[in-house]
Amino acid sequence: MNQPAKSKKQVATSHKKQYLTFRIAHEHYGLELSQTREIIEYSGITEVPLMPSFLRGVINLRGEVVPVIDLAVRLGRKSIQVQRRTCIIVVEIQNNEQNHVLGLLADAVSEVIEIEEENIEDAPSFGAQIRADFIQGIAKQGEEFVVLLDANSALSIRELAHLVEAQLQ
Amino acid sequence: MNIDSAMQTFFAEAADLLDAMEAALLRLEDNNQDRETLNELFRAVHTIKGSAGIFGLDDIVSFTHRVENLLDMARDGKLVLESNLLSLLLPCRDHIAQLVDNAQHQRENDAECLAQGQSLLQSLSPWLPAEQKPKTKSGTKASNAVEQIAEQDAWHISVRLGPDLLRNGMDPISIIRFLGTMGTVTHITTIADHLPEFAEFDPESLYLGFEISLKTNVSQEDIEDAFMFVREEADIKIIPPRSDIQAYVNLIKSLPENPQRLGEILVKSHAITYQELEAALEVQKQQAVAQKPVHKLGNILVDNHVVAPEIIEAAVDKQKAIQERKNTPENRFIRVDADRLDKLINLIGELVINRQRIDLLVSSLAHPALAEAVTSMGSFTEQIRDAALTLRMVPIGDTFQKFKRVVRDTAKSLGKEIELVIEGAETELDRSMVEKLNDPLMHIVRNAMDHGIESVNVRRERNKPDAGRLKLAAQHDAGNIVIVISDDGGGLDTARIRKKAIANGLIDETSQLTQQELFQLIFHPGFSTAEQVTNLSGRGVGMDVVRRNIEELQGGVDIDSELGVGTSFTIRLPLTLAIIDGFHVAASGVDFIIPQNTILECVDLQSLNHIQGQHCVNLRGDQVPYIRLRDIFNLPVSQAEREKIVVVQFGEKRAGIVVDDLHGEIQTVVKPMGPIFQALKGIGGSSLLGTGAVALILDVQQLINFAIAREHTRNSVLSGNLQENDK
Repeated sequence: MNQPAKSKKQVATSHKKQYLTFRIAHEHYGLELSQTREIIEYSGITEVPLMPSFLRGVINLRGEVVPVIDLAVRLGRKSIQVQRRTCIIVVEIQNNEQNHVLGLLADAVSEVIEIEEENIEDAPSFGAQIRADFIQGIAKQGEEFVVLLDANSALSIRELAHLVEAQLQ
Repeated sequence: MNIDSAMQTFFAEAADLLDAMEAALLRLEDNNQDRETLNELFRAVHTIKGSAGIFGLDDIVSFTHRVENLLDMARDGKLVLESNLLSLLLPCRDHIAQLVDNAQHQRENDAECLAQGQSLLQSLSPWLPAEQKPKTKSGTKASNAVEQIAEQDAWHISVRLGPDLLRNGMDPISIIRFLGTMGTVTHITTIADHLPEFAEFDPESLYLGFEISLKTNVSQEDIEDAFMFVREEADIKIIPPRSDIQAYVNLIKSLPENPQRLGEILVKSHAITYQELEAALEVQKQQAVAQKPVHKLGNILVDNHVVAPEIIEAAVDKQKAIQERKNTPENRFIRVDADRLDKLINLIGELVINRQRIDLLVSSLAHPALAEAVTSMGSFTEQIRDAALTLRMVPIGDTFQKFKRVVRDTAKSLGKEIELVIEGAETELDRSMVEKLNDPLMHIVRNAMDHGIESVNVRRERNKPDAGRLKLAAQHDAGNIVIVISDDGGGLDTARIRKKAIANGLIDETSQLTQQELFQLIFHPGFSTAEQVTNLSGRGVGMDVVRRNIEELQGGVDIDSELGVGTSFTIRLPLTLAIIDGFHVAASGVDFIIPQNTILECVDLQSLNHIQGQHCVNLRGDQVPYIRLRDIFNLPVSQAEREKIVVVQFGEKRAGIVVDDLHGEIQTVVKPMGPIFQALKGIGGSSLLGTGAVALILDVQQLINFAIAREHTRNSVLSGNLQENDK
């Protein structure tokens, strides 16, 4: 009779996930570590003409041309001002069973944290000023709240392409 | 080679052979006496049958066998392939293709499929002589012709197969069975000498060898073909009938087993007599002892009156013929996995980029010897690039060839007479483009047949020959490939296009359009979707898809048409999409690359006379409209002192692109921009500069269209405002 209870506990402890946290303005965000590939210094971005403001341009990532997204604009905030600690988080997004590589602009990268699933709360239905489907959940780290982003939705390739199309028309 | 890759080879080969078969049949429709084509047709069917036999694909073998019989008779001049018979053979070819396809996808041949095969054979039966009917692919029943061959006329085949053969899924028994279909296997001796101790015996390894005597009329090549899929690992020796003793002696010497025993086997299988063997070995031994140069055993045997000299001569000639056949071009090709080629080309792309980086570094060093070495390396890099790209080039003829059948079948179903003319079949283009070109070509060809070329009655009224003419032509033109699809049909009716465009709200009654602009309307998405009014609509995908497909390939399509005379579509495409020669320019600090093959010249903008109030300059008497990259892309105002104009040409259009700086020629590897930028017109991709920065590659055709479209909206907004004011 003990068996099921024990295994349940095991499941609970194994449901820890690692997140990469970063800062945009004064807010803290997290992305699942498994979706991030690397963090690079901000340098040499090539602007692409006529693009909406969330699309800052493209960079050369070891021979691969990668679009860079201003996450702040995407989240309805003011566009990121490039500073000394500005960096690009390289993430991989699934679309149509293909992997797409995107760069995300962030003011600063903080750390990798481990959060237990039970400590993650659902996104509030209002008040966050961020589209609800962009948020995977909210976690409390000390005194700070970390908004855990749903990368596949916040960076949906299809939606980004539609926004570009709309901008051009 | 394992069974899967052997099978894949067979399927790829069968596809080629089926194409060849179709092409040959269609050629025979024009001239049914062409012996070369007839031979080609026979060879195709024969090879499919042979290979299918090796894999035990019995349905294919039994069906192709009958077709082969018929073709064999035609080849011998006993039968003329009349057009009604050719019309039957085309579906036979399709049936074989169906059977091969089923085998490839491991589907059972269902009852319907087999019934179809039966009915096809039934319809062929009037041409097949009755006595041929009972003949099946049984190996044990030999035909009369084979039986008449004397005992010593048997081929001797010595087979030592690789130990992994069974593991690779092949079975020696199926090969022997297949040999049986060529004639009669008179003797088989299984060589089990290599069986190991029982403890070491691996049940999955093959330890057996075979000595086979085969009576047959087929050529040595055909026998070799039976071993096609195993010969890499196997040791196969084939000795023709009436071969001299030396061949057998050599065989005995070359095999690892005990010579005495092999000699006995040969004697037992009536390949040679005991006396012959003894005598030959004795003569050779004596000569070796005497330190004399060893006589050719053939000569020895001739001296001994064993073999007539003419037989040896004939055998030598035959060997030569086989040797020559192996040197013909068809054997000089190798099949390479397309992915491997793509990988190679990608790597060379990286090499090209790196070379540019080195160029930059070297130019800052002022080291002449190093610079010279780098320059010479650069020229090799260029050659490697060009050579690698040609690897992926395929002649467009294969694509055109497919349309022969389409045209033939469609013409028949429409009740029209249409003759397809192909020009420039040898023109090459990148394989990856060929695949994407199929659909647009198919659409244009179908349209031309369906709506362009008139029915015979109408053609007679118009004093045209009964048979309509459809031409597919290709040629290279300054780094592009130009494909023209033309017909001598009714042509485009601009009045009807205009009426329809007005009805669909694409233009209004007052619009003044040139003939070209009217033609281009048929590519508009809103045009072809409505009910069929013009002679160029209907049938699933619209012409807008045709244009989109071609634009995706960085190409363009123009139309030329004269009412009552005909229509021609001109498709212009770059030869490859992977690496291009570009010209590096900059506007407002943004790097752009203009494809070199579109550029006519670069001129200082200030030096030219402007046409008053317009974005247009006078270039040696010609008016050339221009666009500013800065304007069209909303770039910030720059401080450039002297703007330059790059004059480009695409198709019939000529235009200027105004930029701030010219940086010179550059080899660029095209990197796709990804799906996010799909809607961005005028930029075809991106590329890396030597500095590591990203430059944007201009798509000149799209850019000009984009500029024209923008001008139109601006003008219509303006004219709209004017109309408002009038009220």
